[in-house]
Amino acid sequence: MSSAAGTGTGTGTERAAAAGASVTSVVVRLKLSLLRNGLRQSGGRRAAYVASTVLVLLFAAFHLLGLIALRGNAHAASVTVLLVAVLALGWAVMPLFFPSGDETLDPTRLVMLPLRPRPLVRALLVASLVGIGPLFSLCLLVGSVIAVARGAAAYAVSVVAVPLGLLVCLALARAVAAANIRLLTSRKGRDLAVLSGLVIAIGAQLVNFAAQRLESAGLGQLDPAANVLSWVPPASVVGAVDAVSEGSYGVGAARLALSAVALAGLLFLWSRTLTRLMTSPDSSTLPAAEPARDRTRSAGLGRILPAGRTGTIMERSLRYVWRDPKTKAAWVTSLAIGLIVPVFNALQGTGSIYFACFAAGMLGIQTYNQFGQDTSAFWMVAMTISSPRDAYVELRGRALAMLVITLPYATLVTVLTTAMLDGWPALPEVLGLSFALLGAMLATGAWSSARFPYSIPQQGYKNVAPGQAGLAWISIFGGMVASALLCVPVIALTIWLNVTAGGDDWTWLLLPLGTAYGAGITLLGLRLAASRTATRLPEILSAVSRG
Amino acid sequence: MTEGAVGGAAVRVRGLWKRFGQQVAVAGVDLDLPAGRFIGLVGPNGAGKTTTLSMVTGLLRPDQGTVEVVGHDVWRDPVEVKARIGVLPEGLRLFDRLSGRELLAYTGRLRGLPGAEVDKRATQLLDVLDLAGAQHKLVVDYSTGMRKKIGLAAALLHNPEVLFLDEPFEGVDPVSAQTIRGVLERYTASGATVVFSSHVMELVESLCDWVAVMAAGRIRAHGPLAEVRGEAPSLQHAFLELVGAHTRDTGSALDWLGGGAR
Repeated sequence: MSSAAGTGTGTGTERAAAAGASVTSVVVRLKLSLLRNGLRQSGGRRAAYVASTVLVLLFAAFHLLGLIALRGNAHAASVTVLLVAVLALGWAVMPLFFPSGDETLDPTRLVMLPLRPRPLVRALLVASLVGIGPLFSLCLLVGSVIAVARGAAAYAVSVVAVPLGLLVCLALARAVAAANIRLLTSRKGRDLAVLSGLVIAIGAQLVNFAAQRLESAGLGQLDPAANVLSWVPPASVVGAVDAVSEGSYGVGAARLALSAVALAGLLFLWSRTLTRLMTSPDSSTLPAAEPARDRTRSAGLGRILPAGRTGTIMERSLRYVWRDPKTKAAWVTSLAIGLIVPVFNALQGTGSIYFACFAAGMLGIQTYNQFGQDTSAFWMVAMTISSPRDAYVELRGRALAMLVITLPYATLVTVLTTAMLDGWPALPEVLGLSFALLGAMLATGAWSSARFPYSIPQQGYKNVAPGQAGLAWISIFGGMVASALLCVPVIALTIWLNVTAGGDDWTWLLLPLGTAYGAGITLLGLRLAASRTATRLPEILSAVSRG
Repeated sequence: MTEGAVGGAAVRVRGLWKRFGQQVAVAGVDLDLPAGRFIGLVGPNGAGKTTTLSMVTGLLRPDQGTVEVVGHDVWRDPVEVKARIGVLPEGLRLFDRLSGRELLAYTGRLRGLPGAEVDKRATQLLDVLDLAGAQHKLVVDYSTGMRKKIGLAAALLHNPEVLFLDEPFEGVDPVSAQTIRGVLERYTASGATVVFSSHVMELVESLCDWVAVMAAGRIRAHGPLAEVRGEAPSLQHAFLELVGAHTRDTGSALDWLGGGAR
């Protein structure tokens, strides 16, 4: 083309082509420098990166070996198709939860540069090939293809199928990220990201559950789902290889074509979103609409709670449980695990009614590092504490807010576990134990909040500021050991009543005794913590202001 | 330099020191701030203004030295001091998952004011500070200017005798700045003391009647505005002379920028 036309057009096209190539190389180099500079920041980060790379590589190698071992298995195609489908799902969901993971992912940073969408899309796509994630995916895809491919034709198809599958995954991630970038860079999106850990935890539970089902029922269960998924890109690339192996070339070609069409579609969508993003004003510069907040609810909450300082503190604490993403995530995790452990164990028949104490223990953890949960806003509290009495009221308010949730919840979990195991005679003693444990946790929690405060970073999924991990360990594990020790009298009494003859008639005594013991120890703990808090206000403030 | 009468000092600082590791942030500050004035604490970034204000308000423990606010020692008698001061710190968050109104309600009640009184004052403050429209929005979604204003409202709620404001105009738009000025002028007219830090000289010059100049952790000059300014045409000039920042010759180095060396 350039030879036929005049030199002017020729150089123009060449320049455009050169520009496209240079944009790609610049973006790739940008990505590499970002990676390198990120690692240069600290030795810990470098170590973490190297460790996670090694881990991922090992994991990938394991998968690769596993998949190669699967070769020849009757259900190999089903397993690999599902695996690739799950991989694609991971790529689609990943950018929503880890938006800050890749800075080149955020096209709004490139908004000021004179770039055309087409070279930009190409550059960003190539840049996103760099990293551990794509490498891992490549291993998985290669392994999957090896597991299903039989015959020269199938291997020939694989050469196209693997890169195609990888590109579909990447384009999917990029398209999803670009479409949601407004959400992701807003406050709501960052709040959402904090909850990502939860989704992963729950997802892991589901996978675990599914794996157990498969173990008992066999891989054959996968076949119907795999039959459908082998037509869905990018899993259809594995489906194509499988079809070609079996000699159905038409089906194979169709499946491969589907993935190619999907790639083209995703690239088109992505490029359109990019164009729109880079040519329209950023929403953050437009004033946000005033959200209509229901005042009645908060007013109602205020009416139920006691008046004065105690009620004010309780109201604030309870609002934060709901509104602060970090606090909310911690609470939801505690509530979920506190319920799942005793109830699932009871379901599987391996449970003991004493596992119900787990709920009290998990919720009690929320009392640790109370001031860290305030972040540097703790100064507002510090300005109003001028005596141990003030500190006592503050800590008591927080403990009461905690009890509003934990007391009914621990009771509910205990009753539920008892009902499932049909151990009604043991209910009073388990409740008594739970309440004693809760009291001990509240006491040690208040004390260690005053003695070992640490910062909780508001961004990301870390719960400890760098350099304060030791403090957090002392605070939580020391506190839990101390709580267990504090509960020894009640535990000893429980054991004694259960082993002595005729002691069973008196186990109901543990309910009032355990409750009274828990209440007493809480009050004592709060008193001790209050005098410490009152004298250590500036130290606590500087410890919690690092995030 | 003239000082206020001994009884008339709102804040008295003696021998205040603070080190962070190797770095000395505040290196022996002695200062008497007269009551009933609009006082500006000025200095370049890193001069120790925030550290000093944090120590004066009891948010940071000094390595050495004493601080008295309206005659009471900040560290030995916090009950008397904390009830009498209002603070707007810089770089510390508010309870920003509360709405503006909830934050004021929380702060006022925590300070021990009766609930009805808190709500009445909060409504007035929100109106005056032009935040009534955003009162049910979470503070985390506020702009910088709005945050400074809600922080100011929270600091004023219990009608303190001395108000400490760390960079109250930093990042604030002109309209909000004017609103804040109006409220502060009204507040000092009632006989209260405002101490605020800033590195914007024009602002300090137009607002304050008493200034203390800080650089490298020490007080370089203090007294009524006119006295500190002396012969210099403006506080900016006096300040640059005091901290020893001479105009650098930028002429030859940036010749590609055009304009020529002057």
